[in-house]
Amino acid sequence: MFQLRWLWENMKGSRRNYIIALTLSVLCNGLYITSPYFQSRIVDTFVSNENAYENLKNNRDTFVLLLCGMIGATLLRTSMQYACNMYYETASQGMIYKVRTHLFRKIENQDMEFYDRFRTGDLMTRLTGDLDMVRHMVSWVIKGFVESVALFTASMIYFFVIDWRTALCILAMTPVIFFVTRLFARHAGPAYRKVRETSSALNTAAQENISGNRVVKAFAREDYEIEKFRKHDEDYRSANISAAMMWLKYHPFIDIAAGGLSVILLLFGGYFMIQRHLTMGQYLAISNLLWAVSNPMRNIGNYINDFQRFMASANKVIEIYYEAPKIVDRADAEEGPAKFRGEVEFCGVDLSIGDKKILDNISFHISPGENVVIMGATGSGKTSLINLIPRFLDCEKGEVLVDGKNVRLHKIKDLRKNIGIATQDVLLYSDTIDSNIAFGDSELEEAYVRQCAELSAASDFIERLPMKYDTIVGERGVGLSGGQKQRISLARALAIRPSVLILDDTTSAVDMETESFIQNSLEKRLDFPCTKIIIAQRISSSKNADKIIILENGKIADMGTHDELIRREGYYKQIYELQSGINCAAEEKKGVTA
Amino acid sequence: MARNKYDVDEQLEAPFDFNHLKRSFVYIKKYRKRMAAALFISIAAAVVGLVGPLVTQHALDVTIPDKNIKELILLSLLLLGCSLTATVLGNIRGRIMTVVGQNIIFDIREDLFAHLQKLPFTYYDDRPHGKILIRVINYVNSVSDMLSNGMINFIMEILNMVFILIFMLIVDVRLTLVAMSGLPLFILVMFAIKKQQRRAWQDVSNKSSNMNAYLQENIVGARITQVFTREEKNAGIYDQLNSKYRKSWMRAVKFSNLVWPATDNISTLVRAALFAAGLLIMDPGEVSLGVLAAMTGYAARFWQPIMNLSNIVNNFINNIAYLERIFETLDEPVTITDKEGAEDIEDLSGQVSFNDVTFGYEEGSSVIEHVSFDVRPGESVALVGPTCAGKSTIVSLISRFYDINQGSITFDGVDISDVTLRSLRSHMGIMLQDSFIFSGTIMDNIRYGRLDAKDEEIIRAAETVCADSFIREMSDGYETEVNERGSKLSGGEKQLISFARTLLSDPKILVLDEATSSIDAKTEALLQKGINELLKGRTSFIIAHRLSTIRNCDRIMYIDEKGILESGSHEELMAKKGAYYQLYTSQSA
Repeated sequence: MFQLRWLWENMKGSRRNYIIALTLSVLCNGLYITSPYFQSRIVDTFVSNENAYENLKNNRDTFVLLLCGMIGATLLRTSMQYACNMYYETASQGMIYKVRTHLFRKIENQDMEFYDRFRTGDLMTRLTGDLDMVRHMVSWVIKGFVESVALFTASMIYFFVIDWRTALCILAMTPVIFFVTRLFARHAGPAYRKVRETSSALNTAAQENISGNRVVKAFAREDYEIEKFRKHDEDYRSANISAAMMWLKYHPFIDIAAGGLSVILLLFGGYFMIQRHLTMGQYLAISNLLWAVSNPMRNIGNYINDFQRFMASANKVIEIYYEAPKIVDRADAEEGPAKFRGEVEFCGVDLSIGDKKILDNISFHISPGENVVIMGATGSGKTSLINLIPRFLDCEKGEVLVDGKNVRLHKIKDLRKNIGIATQDVLLYSDTIDSNIAFGDSELEEAYVRQCAELSAASDFIERLPMKYDTIVGERGVGLSGGQKQRISLARALAIRPSVLILDDTTSAVDMETESFIQNSLEKRLDFPCTKIIIAQRISSSKNADKIIILENGKIADMGTHDELIRREGYYKQIYELQSGINCAAEEKKGVTA
Repeated sequence: MARNKYDVDEQLEAPFDFNHLKRSFVYIKKYRKRMAAALFISIAAAVVGLVGPLVTQHALDVTIPDKNIKELILLSLLLLGCSLTATVLGNIRGRIMTVVGQNIIFDIREDLFAHLQKLPFTYYDDRPHGKILIRVINYVNSVSDMLSNGMINFIMEILNMVFILIFMLIVDVRLTLVAMSGLPLFILVMFAIKKQQRRAWQDVSNKSSNMNAYLQENIVGARITQVFTREEKNAGIYDQLNSKYRKSWMRAVKFSNLVWPATDNISTLVRAALFAAGLLIMDPGEVSLGVLAAMTGYAARFWQPIMNLSNIVNNFINNIAYLERIFETLDEPVTITDKEGAEDIEDLSGQVSFNDVTFGYEEGSSVIEHVSFDVRPGESVALVGPTCAGKSTIVSLISRFYDINQGSITFDGVDISDVTLRSLRSHMGIMLQDSFIFSGTIMDNIRYGRLDAKDEEIIRAAETVCADSFIREMSDGYETEVNERGSKLSGGEKQLISFARTLLSDPKILVLDEATSSIDAKTEALLQKGINELLKGRTSFIIAHRLSTIRNCDRIMYIDEKGILESGSHEELMAKKGAYYQLYTSQSA
């Protein structure tokens, strides 16, 4: 079975511990069977024996020895059991540790398309609940199964040695178990997959409610959210109940088969005794150890049940485990220089996402150190365009070149290390501001963090915070205003001294004064050479640009400097007039008031 | 600002006491009849279980020596009957308890979730969201078995123990005392382990919470990680959290796994002591051998329930760490809530007043002081001023996201803290800069503004905010599935959807906090018509950096130095040549 092979593959490094654990398991169960030995010797010799008093008088030493033996055997067995359990824990934790680290790296390294497919809550379910089922499988189910089989086999052999007829009668009950568990397994699979699905939906509902708590409050949708969550919770509950009920439907048959063993023993064993095939002593020996056959039979049902749950969860884990990003280093990608010059070129680039054409025949060239502004309507493809440069997306036609080389021939790591991006959707970590700014290079000196904050016009408000740079900002930077988050995000991008700096509408929420301060920083105060590609909405951002690219429906509608573009009809001129309409009005006012 | 981050353990506010367990009885009580039935069935099954050995004994003593095959068959059938009855009873118990167990966690989860809805922003801002999530989902799941089957088994084992104790006392009091001599030792050992064990499991819950908080942040922020090529570094941090968790787990099971062997050994010691006492210490003849045989049998059976109990308690201790976290969240104070006797606001004209309002997020430092103003119904007010000056604070106070320290805020003369929050916010349309998109269709996302809105109304709202065209271009139009981190929507598009959502809610008072910052200039110009429609007949508070938006407002308030520095129409403020004039001219220059 693939899932089990996968498990074994991930046991590398823990296999030795696991095999020791399994061996100890079997040994401990062997000891369980023999452990009544000392006590029954004591009872036989000193209590129920006809010469009990004489035996005690004459063999006091034997008695003491047997008592010590009884204590010693228990001590030995429990110590072994303890060691055995710890071996299981070590092995299963080792295995889970390995899978978890692997999954984390998988999740981190996916393409954008992956994050469209898998919701946060769903991924969380896979790495928490599902993974725990996998652990349960290793540390409990397999263990129990092996122990049961060992115990069952050992006892059955023992029974056959005592009396093959009675043993055969007992063995005749076992096919029932196989039949029922097989029937059950067929139905349990879908039931547990349903549990999995509803659990993931519940997780997603909770996760989005927590992340979107501001919107929930803004629309006073608490009751609606509670109702929505309750529906998911109800689904989850009924999926769990029906899976359990499914098990309870089949369980009685297993239970009766196991319980029936004592009936079989009484009926056939009794009959054989009457026929003098079986002695009382043999009967009692079998009867005393009957639990070692019936318990495994009962438990195997439970393990099959857990196994079905494991399968449902393991499939979800494995799906992520083997998920491979499409955008990876090509075999012929070469290591580049540590520092790029910062030249960017697009040659006839086409890009589609799904059926939708996003970019169409885009060509332009940006020289090192240039300051380029990209403008265009919402949805015109600006963000997709810049995503092509650090290879967050790959184009299907044409070429994107950085430093004169196709981006696919660069190592992705080199490429991204040289590109600083402040994304549109600002995401900060729940960590200190200092760590957030130094995100790209955690070795960064504190003075440089401050310098970057200063360049981004963030130092003023940071200094005013109670803990300054050591203030912990909440997840997604909640607690900070939009403009503040954007400035931290800019500082974070500057901190890696990128050769290409990409700002995706990074100053949309800051006021004009701050924006012009930032512009000035970027133009004149950076202490490293840097090509700037800026997505912006305001003319004030583009006025001094070396080149302005106007995107319209995925095509370059126009390109040029501010002075060139305002002389032509088109998007830029319209925007200019719209925004400088204010200027004209202001001039008027000044005139009036003057 | 936040207090907790991914690598900091959360301190438990209150130390554990048995009140936690007592408190969980609230959830159990609801199902007490069913649980009592299950308990009764369990007892019945136990009694039926006692019949089996009697039948066997009779067969061995009488039937088989008599070679009475007929009776043997009859007795076998009787035994089969017992076994069937026990199976059926066990099955019924299983069915009852499955439902009870699921219902209990359902109830706890519902309470927890409902309580979370009442908690203020600060609760969410203070800690990584993953830490909240794991409580709602994983921790609640963990306590289910403990509160359902755990309880029943606990009672069963106690009953079992008491019965055997009575049998033992009837047989021989002195030997019973010997059999019980192991108890103090047992209790001593359990206490020694328990103390360590509880702390160890608390640590496990902390470490798993840390690990999962970091995981969630990394799922949400995967893009940023890639942008800064931090994959290896972050994986390294995660490995550390992961290995801390593993260490913590191993430490905890080191203690937990001790419980069973310890009990087993004590049980053996007791049996050895019984033999020693009966055969060596007491005078021969004082204890009959038959009694001794019976007592050793009972002693073994007396210790079985104790071992089972220790296992159940063990489980309790492991899971109580989770229960504590759940109750801690349920105890989190609801700071902003309806006053007693708070009434719904039926109608609002849209008049808003601040009367001498002072407010600070933290004690001792106020953001605004003694602010007073009146806004007429239908008036549009723009808030301008430097970042951090308190613009967002003022609009948050209007929405009662925080309670003020001093003064009052009134709508139509009614203090907003005297009315129900739900009715207050249902009259308001609050559009924040962070436009959250729920996973689902675009249609559903807009419908969030008014749940009973028809499809046509939704489409009209989208048209008004210029969102219709891009939505129609998407693969499934309005039925396109989107999600928060998804790449299908750009920042501007998300804002337009959120705009449509607000428009649909048809509020009386409108709050726009940087609502159009990511929308491009041309769309914004087109959107102006939509905004005008939105503003018509509503009182509105607008925070924006684009002066084109601000200029059209009836009144502009310049917020700085903890209050309103200037207030008036655009023309008035321009004429004043103060702070606003400077801001305006610097921007248009």
